[in-house]
Amino acid sequence: MSDKDTIIRWLERVERRIRANRLFQELTLGLTLFLTFPLALKIWDLFYPLRGRTITIVVGVWMVSFAAYFVWRLLQKETLGQAAASVDRRAGLHDEIKTALWFIYNPRASEWVDAQLQRAARSTRALDPERLFPRSVPRTFYIAAAMILVFVALNFVPLPWNHNWLTLQAAPAFSLTDKEEAALKQAVELLQKAEKLQKTELAERIEDIVQQLQQGKIDASQAAEMLNDVQSKLDEGNLDLGSINDGLEEIAKDLQSSDLTKPTADAMMQKQLDLAADELRKLAEKLSQNTPEANKDLQKSLQQASENPRPGLEELLKQLKEAAEALKNQDQKNAQDSLDSAAQELNKLEDQMQAQQLKNLASEQLQTLEQSLRQRQQNSQGKSQQQRGQQQKSQPGEKGKAGEKGEAQGGQPQAGQPGQDEPGDDERVPGENGEPQGGSQQGSGLNPSGQRGGNAPREGAPTELDVKLQQEKLAGMEDKGAKPEDIEEASKQERSKLDYRNVKSELSPAQKDLLNQDQIPWEYRPLIKNYFQAIRPPVKK
Amino acid sequence: MSTAIDQQVETFQEQFKRVRDEVGKVIVGYGEIIDGVIMSLLASGHVLLEGVPGLGKTKLVSTLSDVMRLKFSRIQFTPDLMPADITGTNVVQEDALGEKFLEFQPGPIFSNILLADEVNRATPKTQSALLEAMEERSVTVGKRTHKLDSPFFVLATQNPLEMEGTYPLPEAQLDRFFVKLKVDYPTIDSMHTIMNRTTKIKEPEVNRVLGQGEVLEMRKTVRAVPIARPVQDYAIRITLATHPQPPYAQPLTMKYVRYGSSPRGAQALVIGGKIRALLNNRVHVSCEDIRAVAFGALRHRILLNFEGEAERVDTDTVIKGILENTAEPS
Repeated sequence: MSDKDTIIRWLERVERRIRANRLFQELTLGLTLFLTFPLALKIWDLFYPLRGRTITIVVGVWMVSFAAYFVWRLLQKETLGQAAASVDRRAGLHDEIKTALWFIYNPRASEWVDAQLQRAARSTRALDPERLFPRSVPRTFYIAAAMILVFVALNFVPLPWNHNWLTLQAAPAFSLTDKEEAALKQAVELLQKAEKLQKTELAERIEDIVQQLQQGKIDASQAAEMLNDVQSKLDEGNLDLGSINDGLEEIAKDLQSSDLTKPTADAMMQKQLDLAADELRKLAEKLSQNTPEANKDLQKSLQQASENPRPGLEELLKQLKEAAEALKNQDQKNAQDSLDSAAQELNKLEDQMQAQQLKNLASEQLQTLEQSLRQRQQNSQGKSQQQRGQQQKSQPGEKGKAGEKGEAQGGQPQAGQPGQDEPGDDERVPGENGEPQGGSQQGSGLNPSGQRGGNAPREGAPTELDVKLQQEKLAGMEDKGAKPEDIEEASKQERSKLDYRNVKSELSPAQKDLLNQDQIPWEYRPLIKNYFQAIRPPVKK
Repeated sequence: MSTAIDQQVETFQEQFKRVRDEVGKVIVGYGEIIDGVIMSLLASGHVLLEGVPGLGKTKLVSTLSDVMRLKFSRIQFTPDLMPADITGTNVVQEDALGEKFLEFQPGPIFSNILLADEVNRATPKTQSALLEAMEERSVTVGKRTHKLDSPFFVLATQNPLEMEGTYPLPEAQLDRFFVKLKVDYPTIDSMHTIMNRTTKIKEPEVNRVLGQGEVLEMRKTVRAVPIARPVQDYAIRITLATHPQPPYAQPLTMKYVRYGSSPRGAQALVIGGKIRALLNNRVHVSCEDIRAVAFGALRHRILLNFEGEAERVDTDTVIKGILENTAEPS
């Protein structure tokens, strides 16, 4: 091998070694610098939990950036000239290899040049690239390792609001308060119980809505709307329990006239429909053992009971009627069948009523959850409006006035901050959380008796409430078949032909219960009355 | 083949060492100055020695001439010194028949080693008489040009303190000096040695160790040393950096320098680097060699501007800045 080849091959080895060392050093340094970002983000996450999407985007960008940096550094190659310069510096060869390389690339017929190449080749043979450029672990490697450890440790910090990114956990987009979670859990449990009876999938639907809310796919108002839809579906096919109970009582009273049906009637009076069904079945079994007089009493009793038309009891009444007719025709077989069918109807009715009760309870919980979500949404909107208002107030000449309290101050929980400021808190102080403050300089200032007073509750601007009511009314009547004008006009002219029992209520049983509760303090009643009288449209003369 | 080169290098180092050692018998503590003077001789250059009186500048030159078997002349420059006193002149002679004719009488410049003592005391007219001789190695008197013997080596001295009645050397003449060496005051140990050697009955004697042919051979050896383009490029970039004009100008040169070095400066860097490489048993020039000779080769080629003069900036400071800011080729 010539001196030139010796030098070139040796320099190639050196170049590879230098590149490997440089890559290791640069990558650890790059990793150290790059790791500061996720580490800082994780620390931030401990105080202000980040959503999964945010983390995914940030970590994705981070990984792509680091990969780009890695590839960029990997493609960076040293030249042999640079390697020669490095060797000269490291081994103190006073530019011997660099000069030799130049003469290799720029050959010259000279004894002196040959001598120089010979000396350079001799020097390269005496030098070991491994010893000249030993592999060393840079300090940044330890720093990077420590940072990785800290990052991993931070993910396992046992804090309730800490999310382990390594197991692909992140803060939900919208976190429910404890109260909301309890309501949700109860509603789902109740619905699952109800679903066993009616085989609907509303519980899964609710869980899906909450999951979407937590993932940020929908916001609180959308979730509230969807929960409202679920409530509507829950209300579809609702039984009028009051009417059914009344009907059952009437049937029970009628059945008490016969000794044979008295046990059944007693069970029905006690709302034990399963027991009543059993009694009916026993009655059907022993029908052949009865005396003709007893059967006649039974037939009368059943006939009487079947003449109590009630919505929801049609099938039961029909079976009772068929049983009565069969007895009248002395057709015991059909009578037994009809009584068995009536017993089945009672069982079915019992199940339906149980399911209805569960659904009512679930609907109440959903109502609470929906209201809570709406409240939070309104509060967050109020807060953003307040911030905008403060920004406007902070214009020149307006500074210093923004500090007045009671003008819809925020104080509402941020998404992802558990346990703070639950909506619907009874201890809310007027003037805080976006509520109008008593004693503000707006409003007419009527006290409960309708007189103006210093500390009396104030009326707001009537137009705002009017508009709001109108909007709510229109929204509530959409897609319900009859136009609101028609219904209202028919009611006004007192020519409505609809059976009031067949008018489908827009209110859920829970809402009805709420409406029946008298929560308006008596002091406020004159005020409310005056208010609605004030906003009443003028009567056309 | 390379053995012959190695032998040549070895001989060069040996001869250089012999001269240095012989001069060192008389001159104490000026190793770098001695090296610089010998290097200039081997580089076919001339040396300007600057130092206060009594530091042994003249003694150094006379000792060097004693060590080498070369013809030595000494001219004490004074304000009334005329060019003809240096170069020589045509004088009227009579032959045997009484016919008169002009005959050239060579001046002291016709020697191998010329000591121009206190060169800045002569008038510019007289100083310029040295110009042709230093560069062309020839003297023209009347219509006839007389070649100087080789090697021709001028060692000029000047005193930086007594500036009254002196004529600073013109830039053109300064540029012709290969190096300018600053002779500083000797250290106390060196002073002791000087006292011991010069205050006794018998002063040290030197031997003639180098002849004319050997000097010329050494000069050829120096020129044969190869230099790689990147290293030469480094020398050129340093030279160009002494100029206040872009693109190579550096902040210090732009601020304090009026004129930078001529290409002779780069030549001095390369040749000085070659000699230093040989002395370090190398057959190639390194950037370190260039840097080592940069101060002597460039300090008299840089002319400071008014700001530099006013702030008493030393050209060595400028060169140091240039060397620090000029990157080595990678």
